[in-house]
Amino acid sequence: MNDTTTFPIRARLTRLLSHPATSVVSIVTLTLLTILLALNANGYLVFILALFAMNVTVGVGLNILLGLSGQISFGHVGFFAIGAYTTAIMVLAGFDYWLAFLVSGVLSALAGMLLAMPALRVAGPYLAMMTIAFAFIVEHAAIELRHLTGGHNGLMGFPAPELGGRMFFETEVAICAAVLAGVSLLFFLRLSRGRWGTAMRAVADSEVAAQSIGLNPFAIKTVAFVLSALLTGLAGALFTPLQMFISPGSFPFFQSILFLLAVIVGGTGRLFGPVVGSLIVVLLPEVLSGLAEYRLLIFGGIMLGVLLLAPKGVVGGLMQYINFEDPTPAKSSGKEPAALLGGGDAAPRGLKITDLGINFGGVQAAKNVSFTAPPGRVTSVIGPNGAGKTTVLNMVSGFYKPDSGRIEMDRDLAGNAAFQMARSGIARTYQTTQLFEDLSVRDNILIALGTGHLGWLLGGAPGDDQIAITDDLLAFVGYKGPVARRAGDLPHVDKRLVEIARALATRPAVLLLDEPAAGLMHSDKEALTALIRKIAETGVAVVLVEHDMSMIMSISDEIVVLDAGVPIKTGVPSEVQNDADVRRAYLGDSAYQGRKRVGEWKHGGKKEVLSTRGLTAGYGAAAALEAVDVSVEPGEMVAVLGANGAGKSTMMRALSGLHRPVSGAILLDLAPIDELQAHQIAQAGLALVPEGRQVFPLMSVRDNILMGAYTRRDDLDREAEIDALLARFPRLRDRIDAPAGVLSGGEQQMLAIARGLIANPRILLLDEPSLGLAPSIIAELYDVLADLRDEGVTVLLVDQMATLALTIADRAYVLESGHVVKSGLSADLQKDSSIEKAYLGSDVAAE
Amino acid sequence: MIASTLITGLALGSMYGLMALGFHVTYAVSKTVNFSQGSSMMFGAVMGYTFMVTLGWPFWLGIPAALMCCAALGLAVERFLVRPFASRGSDAWLMATVAGGIVLDNVILFTFGKEPRSLPSPFVENAIEFLGTGAYPLQLIIPVVGLAIALGLTLVTTRTKLGKAMLASAQRPEAARLVGVNTQAVIAASFAISALFAGVAGLLIAPLFNVSAGMGVVFGIKAFAAAILGGINSAWGVMIAGILYGCVEALTTAYIGSSYTQIVSFSIVILVLVFVPNGLFGRAELKKV
Repeated sequence: MNDTTTFPIRARLTRLLSHPATSVVSIVTLTLLTILLALNANGYLVFILALFAMNVTVGVGLNILLGLSGQISFGHVGFFAIGAYTTAIMVLAGFDYWLAFLVSGVLSALAGMLLAMPALRVAGPYLAMMTIAFAFIVEHAAIELRHLTGGHNGLMGFPAPELGGRMFFETEVAICAAVLAGVSLLFFLRLSRGRWGTAMRAVADSEVAAQSIGLNPFAIKTVAFVLSALLTGLAGALFTPLQMFISPGSFPFFQSILFLLAVIVGGTGRLFGPVVGSLIVVLLPEVLSGLAEYRLLIFGGIMLGVLLLAPKGVVGGLMQYINFEDPTPAKSSGKEPAALLGGGDAAPRGLKITDLGINFGGVQAAKNVSFTAPPGRVTSVIGPNGAGKTTVLNMVSGFYKPDSGRIEMDRDLAGNAAFQMARSGIARTYQTTQLFEDLSVRDNILIALGTGHLGWLLGGAPGDDQIAITDDLLAFVGYKGPVARRAGDLPHVDKRLVEIARALATRPAVLLLDEPAAGLMHSDKEALTALIRKIAETGVAVVLVEHDMSMIMSISDEIVVLDAGVPIKTGVPSEVQNDADVRRAYLGDSAYQGRKRVGEWKHGGKKEVLSTRGLTAGYGAAAALEAVDVSVEPGEMVAVLGANGAGKSTMMRALSGLHRPVSGAILLDLAPIDELQAHQIAQAGLALVPEGRQVFPLMSVRDNILMGAYTRRDDLDREAEIDALLARFPRLRDRIDAPAGVLSGGEQQMLAIARGLIANPRILLLDEPSLGLAPSIIAELYDVLADLRDEGVTVLLVDQMATLALTIADRAYVLESGHVVKSGLSADLQKDSSIEKAYLGSDVAAE
Repeated sequence: MIASTLITGLALGSMYGLMALGFHVTYAVSKTVNFSQGSSMMFGAVMGYTFMVTLGWPFWLGIPAALMCCAALGLAVERFLVRPFASRGSDAWLMATVAGGIVLDNVILFTFGKEPRSLPSPFVENAIEFLGTGAYPLQLIIPVVGLAIALGLTLVTTRTKLGKAMLASAQRPEAARLVGVNTQAVIAASFAISALFAGVAGLLIAPLFNVSAGMGVVFGIKAFAAAILGGINSAWGVMIAGILYGCVEALTTAYIGSSYTQIVSFSIVILVLVFVPNGLFGRAELKKV
């Protein structure tokens, strides 16, 4: 390769350091050095060396748990003690030391499994508590099981281990410890480069994504826990002949924290992290023997320093300086996509969904959903926000368990876990991409290739054939960046593409795509559309959930329209586009008409309450909102319209301060608020009634309303003001003392508006107030909004019910892909066809 | 014997509960806890000793001053050991607070001294007759204070502006910001309250045991066990679990033997979590895909 000439010294250094042979040579050298030192040193140094090597072994074990699988344990001293006591008890009973050594490892591993089973079902503080409890139980069992452990007096007088006629004294034990440390480092090296290690890191990164490529997170975390306990137990087995005396005092709870400290300070997840960390933990107190009593203070300080200043630890921090990203992109071998996706050999299988339904706490999120997704076709599921599209995908991919209905491929799969669905041939992507952010692009694909089958524990690094498939897949989806790049550092569009490639790597029969075009620019959407077609042509059944209507209309073979969890129409694009029910669901066309303002609204000339200049905001690389100028005058009701994903909600979040940072200016009463936090903006007089109501579920209706007055500095006559609001929303009167969580959707919406109104805001922002409500409730709500307008409240309204919103608004802006494409008086916009186009897509034929 | 056992259990247990309430308060608003609650407890007792014994301040000055020190400690923990990590989505706050506790314990060890000292109190001078057994008045006062504080917390959260802001932040953080609540400040306040509760526990039990730099470590761990046992997102759940934990401990010590105490109580924690993963009174947290 001649790219070493183009990439100078850092590239070579990185390549050298990351090569497995370098690691192997380093480990062997390190082990030999330790042995050499042990052979030529005096008694005390030998003891310290042995202790160091033991700590390395425990550290490697913890590194498997913490560094690879992302789980914490405060209980490792327990496994260490089990190893040490098992050995002590067995050799005192006359068993051979080496047998005892093995049994110690096995027993620790078993204890690890017993603890892992319940502990790994819980997370965070609960897991920490389980492991703490374990350590205490072991320590106190050692005290209490006197006939076995000698209680507080401990055990001593062990016969020295013997091998081939040679007695093992301190030096020999130190050599053993060094060899064990070396072997465990090699084990870690092999594990972390192979499938299992990658799977552990994948699970630590995103359990959701791991399941959707067929990995069983529980099994993988359990294996990590067991391996970790095994190595710790083996180290404990060496501790016994080294110390020649063990008692419960040798295994204080605090030792667990020192074990953790070594791994974290050295560099979590790094091969040599435990080596550096153990050097510090074991050798530092010897070097600073004059400061021995300050040992713990120094350790605590080092730990804090590392966590705050070098969160990747010493090794991780050093690697950052020399790390160089290999810029090589994926190279396609020119294989046919069909061969790549395995569509050729197996008979293509479609997906058949029958009467699928689920409810969450009494709310029917989906009901009677039936459709088929035949192989080679693109079947789209569309519907307004909250229609249940993602809920259906979550059921099909196994994240939700449906209450009723069937999900059939070769057999009924309803109720299977997510990883089983993936193994049965259902792959998916997510609304917000769920890549394994800490893995490279290539590893993201490689780990998906086995669809959950990981092979032998030490199966080693993937072969050239698998790398070739990975490169082909990446080239197929159109990813042109470096394959070595960390997935979390990718631009948005590449994340989408790599996620699709990862889903394809499982060789799915059915591919579920959840809003793949969200946040993409126009040209990228076109490329994506072409890609989805190509995927379907290989025989995969594609199920697409998407808001971009022109994309849906151009790509779909069949469209299923959901509204409020129920399918209202199934057909080809042209049928769906012209269906009256669909138009009603999307645009809110209905018999009900909002009450117009009496007389004509005169816009212009007044001092703006709220205005933006070039407002730009986004998530990641793509701007969801670009150079938007809007303004609202006092007493005016302005609507912001646009399809889902057009940037309406981002705009509301940016205006209210929930989304930061933004560029461009936001002015409230002509004062800039674009750098203020949400609570400061609320104090400045802007009240947002957020999408999804967001009432405080456990507080009473009365307290919810009063929370809205949090910023009021003037005298608040609570009873009078609440009474006025109850007169406006009579439905709330009976429920005034009920917790808000039990209210219906419509009541919660009214409560959320009441909560906004009591703040006496300069302007009230409403984000999707009609979302998910029954028509009669929407009518009631819109009557109230018209009242507010007539009373002179300044309102900025976002609603996907465009036709309805226009009936009560004075003016409106139409957003499309983050830009204002149209604005004007409502009366003029009502006659304009551009709104319909923005919602239901432009006419397919006209394109 | 049962009566005196239960008196001991109730006194210790209500203090576990009080400290567990401290874990609950920060967890509810921020999903983080100060793992060195035990050190906060020790800090309260040590400062109380320093003010009232070393400096000879009267109790009405010494106790509030010690509690103020605890609150300040809680603010510092949040600002320097939790926020830097939580704000970037890292859970390294867990190890950072552990390390912070180790540092504090050792700083106190070298400044306050290594010998445990007793904090005199008029309530442990003479035992009184109660339910047919001898008990110090303090042993009877402790559960009353503990429950009164728990009740006080309930009143504060339901009746005061700060309390409602805390409830709102815990239930819907985003909506809380939208009505003008500075949720970051609420989180800081919750850490101050959490450390304050620990300080109260430290001051209350100091006269029964001794004041020393290491007094809080195991106590803090047991309080955490109580919080997990009760379900960390339930205020009364953790208080009740604390009392149960204290009583189980006292009963085990009295009837089986003190060396079995930890085995029995920690085994109960593990067993409960096996069958009720969210604790006795906890709710499952919603997972979103």
